[in-house]
Amino acid sequence: MLAANALVSGTGIGLRQPHYREVFERRPPLAFLEVHSENFFLEGGASMHALERARAAYPISLHGVGLSLGSADTLAGEHLAKLERLVDRIEPALVSEHLCWGGVGGLHFNDLLPLPYTGEALALLADRIDHVQTRLKRRILVENLSAYVECRHSEMSETAFLAELARRTGCGLLLDVNNLYVNAMNFGFDPVARLGELEPASVVQMHLAGHTVVDDCLIDTHGSLVGDPVWSLYAQACRRFGPRPTLIEWDTDLPALDVLLSQAAQAEAIAQREAAHA
Amino acid sequence: MPELSDFQADFAAALRERGRTPGMERWLAGAGDLVDRRMAIYRANMVAAAEKALASGYPVIRQVVGNDFFHGLAREYQRGTPSASGDLTDYGATFDAFLADFEHVQSMPWLPDLARLEWAAHRAYGAADAPDWDPSSLAAIEPERQAAIRFLWAPGTAVVVSSHPIVRIWTIHQPGYDGEFSVDWTRADTALVARDGFLVRVSECSPADASFIAASLAGATFGDATAATLADHPHFDLGALLARAIPARLVCGFTL
Repeated sequence: MLAANALVSGTGIGLRQPHYREVFERRPPLAFLEVHSENFFLEGGASMHALERARAAYPISLHGVGLSLGSADTLAGEHLAKLERLVDRIEPALVSEHLCWGGVGGLHFNDLLPLPYTGEALALLADRIDHVQTRLKRRILVENLSAYVECRHSEMSETAFLAELARRTGCGLLLDVNNLYVNAMNFGFDPVARLGELEPASVVQMHLAGHTVVDDCLIDTHGSLVGDPVWSLYAQACRRFGPRPTLIEWDTDLPALDVLLSQAAQAEAIAQREAAHA
Repeated sequence: MPELSDFQADFAAALRERGRTPGMERWLAGAGDLVDRRMAIYRANMVAAAEKALASGYPVIRQVVGNDFFHGLAREYQRGTPSASGDLTDYGATFDAFLADFEHVQSMPWLPDLARLEWAAHRAYGAADAPDWDPSSLAAIEPERQAAIRFLWAPGTAVVVSSHPIVRIWTIHQPGYDGEFSVDWTRADTALVARDGFLVRVSECSPADASFIAASLAGATFGDATAATLADHPHFDLGALLARAIPARLVCGFTL
């Protein structure tokens, strides 16, 4: 039996180094703080100290970007061991990874690369997620990806693939609303219809972020305000799935902390409003 | 049926190519020029990830050469030394050797030593916190057994020996430095890198002290490290070194 994720409700923000001091001094009322797991694969020092300080004040969400669950290579044992040590040390409320691969043939591209949504990939991912959940002794969340290319030989949608993964492994889903919107625009599908492919109970967390439009492509840059169409899609998601712990994800061109807090407050207001309609 | 491993191998090969990405139309939806443009996004991400990791390890070199040139260095380094891990903490460990060989930086012969210094500081930043230790336990060892002691140095402690003014270059590029910027290029700096609480300190150290610390870090006993140091540096003052290193908690234990 996998331990349930600690109960978290409401909105959170990413904890990034330029905001450490202000977050610790102001202690803004946030439901959780999220960090990239790999930034804390350290033995000690200032970063680990900051994370432990944050952990004393807030639930922590560990968001992995490098485990490469979908690589045709064997799963990186050392990487998983580091994640396990971090999970043991921080006792996070949430642990998430991406539905992606990051490298193959011994190389790593340190990016979130899209998979073909095939039966072969599904079997591989289900095995890997079982392995990781057993090792970490907890349920993990798996996030949908933003992508710029689509595999011709996919046999199902990404959301149908995620729904099946959740059924097979008991993993939770981290619905990145911006990623779903970016892909809907890049590949021309209806994102609201895709929400209908997910079981409400499987959606444990949501992400919101800004994207950039370059020529004919939306790029998931995490460096700007959440766009209006993404807020509307978030409202639809809240209506279907209920309120879920939601992160304002901002990684590049970091703004003042108050900008993130205001985006978090906007997400909270939408979630409350939609909960009243549900 | 197409295999996941074939798809990923072709995708990986396309990322490592410059310019066009022949062959990917077989796997990816859309016309060839669209696939090329979209693959270029992933290729740029790959270089950006390497550049970001290198910039976090080598902030002084980035300031010294400028952002644009650093971007070029990162692209070249990434091509020859692609990442092999989803954890980029240790990416860039061989940047000094790359800089020593790279033809366009030969006018800056001090760059590889500066890279070694920055890498030691980067490693010290995330090193384990030093354990508490009571130095009086050292005094309890009988004099005739002392030569067999092996000191435990605080995690992150390192020395970097150079024939260039690397400590000076490092110092004047630190955030908040407000002194003057002259550099005496004839100086040969020996750097001591050490954690002071959560701070990383870089200071000058004598070649003799560096010799002892390096031998001791490599596992030599107190007696062997002293003998090796005295052979090259007859005026080495061990007592003075320990009188500084122990209160500064550079030494945080010993084995016998």
